[in-house]
Amino acid sequence: MSANINEHQTVQTWIAGVHEQSGVSPENDAKRLQVLAEFCALVEKDPDQMIDECLRDVEGGKKIRVKGRRFYAEKIAEFEQQAEGGPGEKRQKANYIRSFLIHNGVLLQTSPLS
Amino acid sequence: MEFKEVVGRRRSIRYFLPWKPVPRAKIQIILEAARLASRAGNADFARAIVVERDKLAKADLQTLTLPVNAGMIEMAPVHIYWWGDLAAFRRDMPSRARQQVDMGVLNISHGWTHKFINEVAYPQVVQAFSSDPVLNAKVTGCESGLAISQALLATVDEGLGTMLCTYPEESARRVFGVPDSWTALWVQFVGYPAEGWEAGGQRPRPPLGELYHEGRYGTPFRGSEAVVAQLQAEKMLQDPAPLPWRREEVRAVSRMLGLPEE
Repeated sequence: MSANINEHQTVQTWIAGVHEQSGVSPENDAKRLQVLAEFCALVEKDPDQMIDECLRDVEGGKKIRVKGRRFYAEKIAEFEQQAEGGPGEKRQKANYIRSFLIHNGVLLQTSPLS
Repeated sequence: MEFKEVVGRRRSIRYFLPWKPVPRAKIQIILEAARLASRAGNADFARAIVVERDKLAKADLQTLTLPVNAGMIEMAPVHIYWWGDLAAFRRDMPSRARQQVDMGVLNISHGWTHKFINEVAYPQVVQAFSSDPVLNAKVTGCESGLAISQALLATVDEGLGTMLCTYPEESARRVFGVPDSWTALWVQFVGYPAEGWEAGGQRPRPPLGELYHEGRYGTPFRGSEAVVAQLQAEKMLQDPAPLPWRREEVRAVSRMLGLPEE
């Protein structure tokens, strides 16, 4: 999947959002995409499927699927625990996935590191 | 801090130092400021449940969490859950109003007597208001809001950060055991800010004349540049958002707290 992950609409939305809203340069895009690919492998879904499971179309816009969001919030926590590196690095990887969901309109908040 | 600067500094803080406790004395000052707010009939509309985050059972904290409050509810060391008492006006007004007649607050000069309260004001006004759910909610909400606003300003004056957010009413009823007549308003998060007090700058507001009218709707209230200059000097009007360093600040604070940076 990592070869064509950035062909997914939701990934393009994410990367554009990161550049525009956060003003971040494209330097770290490759790392972001790699981490997303690893997460997709964990949950066995592609990026567009993940967002579909978190949002549904309603009249006038979209509504969050609570079960979907909860599922992915838990999976991100699992991903963070399993990730390599120290606590800061693990958290950064998990936050890349949260960022992907957030930039695609899935409101998700994060517990601060304790 | 001078009043105008307090007003100017008040803004919603969304990043708190989770590890730094808030002195109890400061919480009391915040509540005292709320207690002294203007209120119709001197009735007890605004009620609060004060909670230290670390004393909440994990399951209770979870049940009070919503997606829009989730970050702050875990960061802020103190939460003040504000409620409005829908029974306040009907319950408190008659006795408090009579008390105010006796204290020389409500006077003959303005038509007030015990007789007027008992035979006219209470049955014709208070009972009518409090029997109409929409009117009662309007009065309760407005009067509670006055108290909450003073609480916010007192929090800023104490050098703390604060913001209002929503909370799930039914969960809060179970956790806090409040009376049935209390209706949920806002939770006020309180703590030492992890971001600078400017929080990125003063939020935009429409011009004065767009919000407020003079004499009649459609005639904008005209402010003066001299007053604007005075309020800038007295720090009620401050540098607008976004401040030049805001993005860097957000990234640094997010990184410190382990939150998504970008």
